[in-house]
Amino acid sequence: MESHVSTKENPKRDLSKFYLLEPDYDRPIFEVPKDTREKIMEKLEFLYGREEAERSFQEIERIMKVHYAHKPPEMIEQERDLDPSERFSEKDVILITYGDLIRGDDQLPLEVLADFADRYLKGGINTLHILPFFPYSSDRGFSIIDFEEVDPRLGTWENIEALKVRSRLMFDGVFNHISSKSRWFQEFLDANPEYQDFFTTFSTKGAISEDHLKLIVRPRVSELLTPFSTLNGKQSVWTTFSPDQIDLNFKNPKVLLKMAEILLIYVRRGADIIRLDAVTYLWSELGTSCVHLEQTHLVIKLFRDIFDAVAPNVAIITETNVPHDENIQYFGDGYDEAQMVYNFALPPLVLHAFQNGSSAHLTKWASGLEKVSDEATYFNFLDSHDGIGVSPVKNILTKDEIEMMALRVLEHGGFISYKDNGDGTLSPYELNITWYSAINREDSDESEDLQIKRFIASRSIAMVMMGVPGVYLPSLFGSRNDADAVIEKGETRSINRKTYRKESLFERLDDKDRSAYKVSRGMGKIIRARIREKAFHPNAAQQVLDISEEVFALVRTSVDKKERILTITNIVDKVQELSIETKQIGGKQEITCRDILSGKDFVSSEGVLSLNLKPYEVLWLKCS
Amino acid sequence: MDFKTREESDGKVVVIECPVRVDSGGAQDLREIMTESTERDKFLLVVDMDKTEFMDSSGLGALVSRIAVTRSNSGDVRLARVKDPILKLLELTHLDKIFQSFESVQTAVDSFDV
Repeated sequence: MESHVSTKENPKRDLSKFYLLEPDYDRPIFEVPKDTREKIMEKLEFLYGREEAERSFQEIERIMKVHYAHKPPEMIEQERDLDPSERFSEKDVILITYGDLIRGDDQLPLEVLADFADRYLKGGINTLHILPFFPYSSDRGFSIIDFEEVDPRLGTWENIEALKVRSRLMFDGVFNHISSKSRWFQEFLDANPEYQDFFTTFSTKGAISEDHLKLIVRPRVSELLTPFSTLNGKQSVWTTFSPDQIDLNFKNPKVLLKMAEILLIYVRRGADIIRLDAVTYLWSELGTSCVHLEQTHLVIKLFRDIFDAVAPNVAIITETNVPHDENIQYFGDGYDEAQMVYNFALPPLVLHAFQNGSSAHLTKWASGLEKVSDEATYFNFLDSHDGIGVSPVKNILTKDEIEMMALRVLEHGGFISYKDNGDGTLSPYELNITWYSAINREDSDESEDLQIKRFIASRSIAMVMMGVPGVYLPSLFGSRNDADAVIEKGETRSINRKTYRKESLFERLDDKDRSAYKVSRGMGKIIRARIREKAFHPNAAQQVLDISEEVFALVRTSVDKKERILTITNIVDKVQELSIETKQIGGKQEITCRDILSGKDFVSSEGVLSLNLKPYEVLWLKCS
Repeated sequence: MDFKTREESDGKVVVIECPVRVDSGGAQDLREIMTESTERDKFLLVVDMDKTEFMDSSGLGALVSRIAVTRSNSGDVRLARVKDPILKLLELTHLDKIFQSFESVQTAVDSFDV
């Protein structure tokens, strides 16, 4: 695999990727460039006013200097050659996983993950998104007790570093909230004045008017304010997600500064990409929806300014499970906010296409997707530790279409999570189901081979679309629903959070007769084919073809325009006979194409390429 | 098969009476009854759970196994006489928001207004 990964047998530390354990203050101290200072000051002034901005900037400057002093000369040298348009390439494929989805005997889960990566990811997946691996109190890691420690049940910082030798790493910045069991919150309860403004508090639970409450957009139906007993009496605290997840108050500049410092600590610990979790809700203002506020965007941009100055190799990805148009606002102008956003509309649209045997909505939406800039792109995932969000398509699919999609998910053994609309009504927020079960019915009498073909066909779409593809680990082997866990844990998301025993999983993955082996082979094939092709670079042009409702087709053209790949996915269980005019593909009147997945050749005749696709067949035709 | 079925409202509504336990074994039967009903174009289904005291995930799966098919054919699956433990299970899995639940089989049948 062309990446930072080296083999277990011959581990090699690329010094340009590892920070010094201690700062070196004998070298010249980092000087904040004038334009960086201006950019940061402008944002701080908007957020906190002139006087506070000056104070806060001094601390940011200090944090940046400390960070820079941790850089080895090799890293500083390497950063000089950094081309932001090559930050992501066709070689990038991200695996999303909890640190302990696979467990072994006598090994820490992060060691098991390293074994799994060595054995099954080489030559394919080059980036690991390890979901929050910090000590936590609930929400499977997203209620963090200590931002700076590794959960000892998972491993140590040394284990994270060992993974960094093999892969690029993506860490979570769960900065919207902190655990009620954290020291920071305990200090608040203890009435430590330093922490009084770390959280948004009210004297009573009813302090927010009904009118204001109705405006606030939240993905949960729990109470917004949670009462706590403090040294100073009862206080009600803003909790967007759950009573255990206490929102941090970014109106307090000390919170912002602390988080900026933690971000850079993550970078020093190995993060190449930082995922800003639930960032939509970062800044709250009564009288507004409390989502996507200008202040929230400014905080992200400020983090970006800091990275651009002292950690230019590191990218920000925003996780905003909201309608597509709002989601892509997190790109900013393409150069000043997130370098990558979750392409949240993709999973429900691919699911809808396969459920209905019609790519109409997917094709129309994909046709409108634009390249934001050479430095920003989409994260094309289909599944993750959460469910399939439906809010992102509320302006693309009708209410009835979304409802029918949700009902079909129920038929496939999944569940639905709801959100409070603020007016006493609820609507589906996400569909909880594994991707394999969403695409296939377990009680169907179809052959396993057909179901695997359908699954791989659906996954292939995320592999070819403009952006960087992501795969949730259980989808590498076609994991089915774990409905028992939903009942046991009382949480619908548990359906897709099953943990696996290392020995039995490896056995299944190595057994040619098992479904897990067949799925992983199919996934490996499309991943390896993708990473070889310049036409799949995130910045390669994308042209969606509207050929037939029963296929999804697009043409990708490499940045240097020398390579062109026509991808066609048959989304139904019928044979497709297609005649595509070569002028639709671009280039010459007569073309010769090789399917890079099967090696088969196709030749046009009289300006028409005739294709015959079997049920759920995928063709990636490299044409010349 | 521990399930009993009968038709009401001139054969337009199928009432499925569930046994005490609807777990992996029974769930398959329930799936088959529902599939067979919808294949006969019977899309108005009432599941009588008066006797049911235990249901596991496969039972829940069976309950919703034809929910999209029935609703896309102007029908529905409705529940009658659901006991507390099952109600709690439905709440836990948010399926209480999917199913209309009635205190008697007759009101469930009448709710279809046929």
